[in-house]
Amino acid sequence: MNELTTTRHNELIDPIVHVWGWEIPVYLFLGGLVAGMMIIAGYFFIKGRDEGHECVCYQVPLIGLFLLSLGMLALFLDLEHKAYVWRVYTTFKIKSPMSWGSWILLLVYPALLVNFLLNVPAWIGDRLAFLKIWSQKILAIKNIKRHVGKVNLVLGIMLGIYTGILLSSLGARPLWNSAILGVLFLVSGLSTASALVHMIARDRAESEMLARADNLFLTIELFVFALFFIALLSSTEVQIQSAMLLLTGPFAAVFWVFVILMGILIPLFIQNLSVSHRIKHTPVAPIMVIVGGFVLRLVLVQAGQYSHYLNAHFLK
Amino acid sequence: MTSPQQADGFAPKPYWNPYLSGIGLGLVLLAAFVIMGRGLGASGAFSSVVAYGVQKVAPEHANANAFYAEYLGDGTANPLKDWLVFEVIGVFLGGFISGKIGNRVKGKIEKGPRISSRSRLIYAFLGGGLMAIGAKLARGCTSGQALTGGALLNLGSWAFMISVFIGGYAFAYIMRRQWT
Amino acid sequence: MSAPFYKYGLFNDEVSLIVAVFIGLGFGFFLERAGFGNGRKLAAQFYFTDMTVLKVMFTAIVTAMVGVYYLSIFGFLDLSLVYVTPTNLVPQITGGLILGIGFVIGGYCPGTACVSASTGRYDGWAYVAGLFAGILFFGEVFHLFEKFYTSTAMGKVTLPQLFHLPYGLMVFLVCIMALGAFAAAEWGEKKMAAKKED
Repeated sequence: MNELTTTRHNELIDPIVHVWGWEIPVYLFLGGLVAGMMIIAGYFFIKGRDEGHECVCYQVPLIGLFLLSLGMLALFLDLEHKAYVWRVYTTFKIKSPMSWGSWILLLVYPALLVNFLLNVPAWIGDRLAFLKIWSQKILAIKNIKRHVGKVNLVLGIMLGIYTGILLSSLGARPLWNSAILGVLFLVSGLSTASALVHMIARDRAESEMLARADNLFLTIELFVFALFFIALLSSTEVQIQSAMLLLTGPFAAVFWVFVILMGILIPLFIQNLSVSHRIKHTPVAPIMVIVGGFVLRLVLVQAGQYSHYLNAHFLK
Repeated sequence: MTSPQQADGFAPKPYWNPYLSGIGLGLVLLAAFVIMGRGLGASGAFSSVVAYGVQKVAPEHANANAFYAEYLGDGTANPLKDWLVFEVIGVFLGGFISGKIGNRVKGKIEKGPRISSRSRLIYAFLGGGLMAIGAKLARGCTSGQALTGGALLNLGSWAFMISVFIGGYAFAYIMRRQWT
Repeated sequence: MSAPFYKYGLFNDEVSLIVAVFIGLGFGFFLERAGFGNGRKLAAQFYFTDMTVLKVMFTAIVTAMVGVYYLSIFGFLDLSLVYVTPTNLVPQITGGLILGIGFVIGGYCPGTACVSASTGRYDGWAYVAGLFAGILFFGEVFHLFEKFYTSTAMGKVTLPQLFHLPYGLMVFLVCIMALGAFAAAEWGEKKMAAKKED
């Protein structure tokens, strides 16, 4: 017999929502990271930096495919009904960000594959000879690299913004319900991607250029954070309370220390000194940026689930 | 002697004048008194982490132990969300930033010329273990007791500080092979 | 009276953790500046070749002590709200001796080990691992000497109370003592340097 209850009888949503654990933040983080990597690779192709085989834009697709698959795996683990995952692709709902995301991801994979085929690394090409043949066929297309670059750029931006929109479309969570979230996640994805690509780049000039780009993205990220909070704080009490969750509330220590200080300010400071050749360069700063980017997703997902219209008084 | 750091133009910079760093340290301590109403510390943070770890592995065992219970609190808050834990995170960051600016961050082992790296690491581990026991008995280490209590003219802290120096000097001759 | 800010409710517990990181940051920064991320420099204190430990420690204590004294007599800092560890004389002296021995063996104290570890010293990491092991050991055998741990409890006792001296005079005496120690340290360092040249 089913017990008759009206509301508030779900252990996952009472007293606060905690439906989403680590899986969604992992997916959002990796999705943003791959989006940033695609934008960087796309930019390099469009700018014609792809001469020779040293350009990092040839290493991006394989790592991107791997990271994105990891993210998709996390997403899949989060699904309640795993056997029905294919149903996402039997429909397209224009108003559903989930639907958009699924289809964007479906386009990202072939785009990364084509990008990968532009320059198949020898250790794979020697084992799978057919990839080399495909590669030659693709390279025969006129201006293919510029086209791949443009596709990468567009899909990267869409993927990056979508990871934020996924959260901000959930109107019931005042912390997430902000249009700036898409931009924030895009910029954060770009900064983590610059940090990662900077570490794997073989070409010294390229690596340094990416460190500089990372500094720029981190600075922009600070401004976007400021906008995000200004928007929330100048809204209604519910939004103010949800912003306070991060600013002074139960998530403040993690947010300020691990996201702002360790994820942005300190790496920005250290990287600024190292790109101006004042101190030796080490991978510590980029690693801090990458970890900070992940904690940002984690804390936003957790705090967002905590924020609520009905118990907006929880801080007082 | 040319180290690889000097080869690429990044020689480690000399340390500051001890009195200048001392004044800086004193002002940080003073800020802690004024802002927080408490001093600095270090060993307490490690206790919180250990108590948290024991609780994760064996919850009943941890809760039954009076020593761990002190660091675990009433169970409403995460034991790692502790003032000293965050302060020690800051110590790591501050040390790293200072070392980075001074080109002194380098993976190496500090030891005298007469001892092998392996023995030095074993001694460091043993010293750390001994120090932890001493610090727990004394209710604080050099930062929590000697510096903080010293500035507040606390009797126990001054007694502690004098015994640290006595213990150190008494054992220095035995350990001379490690350092000189 | 308006300080300590935290005790007067200027910010909540969560924000106090952020403050903690910044205070720790300053702490770690000056420790490293002084050279305390280097075990050899710290241990040299016990061989009279480099008295930096003594100089830095006493300068820090004197700076903070004088600051606390003036801020409290000017009525800015409420000293009764500043936490003072209660004294348990015998366990603290025992702990101090053990800690001193551990200092010469390990080369660091818990705070300086963090700085050493974060600047890449492997012995610093080994020391930190030892700290965890030592605390775990202490926690597991704690019940055996819990009585000793809480023995000779004297409550909060400060030096002015003990010697029946005015607070200001005690501060003055400690300053004089510190100056004497600095002079002795400088003299000792020169003496040792000269001895080395022979």
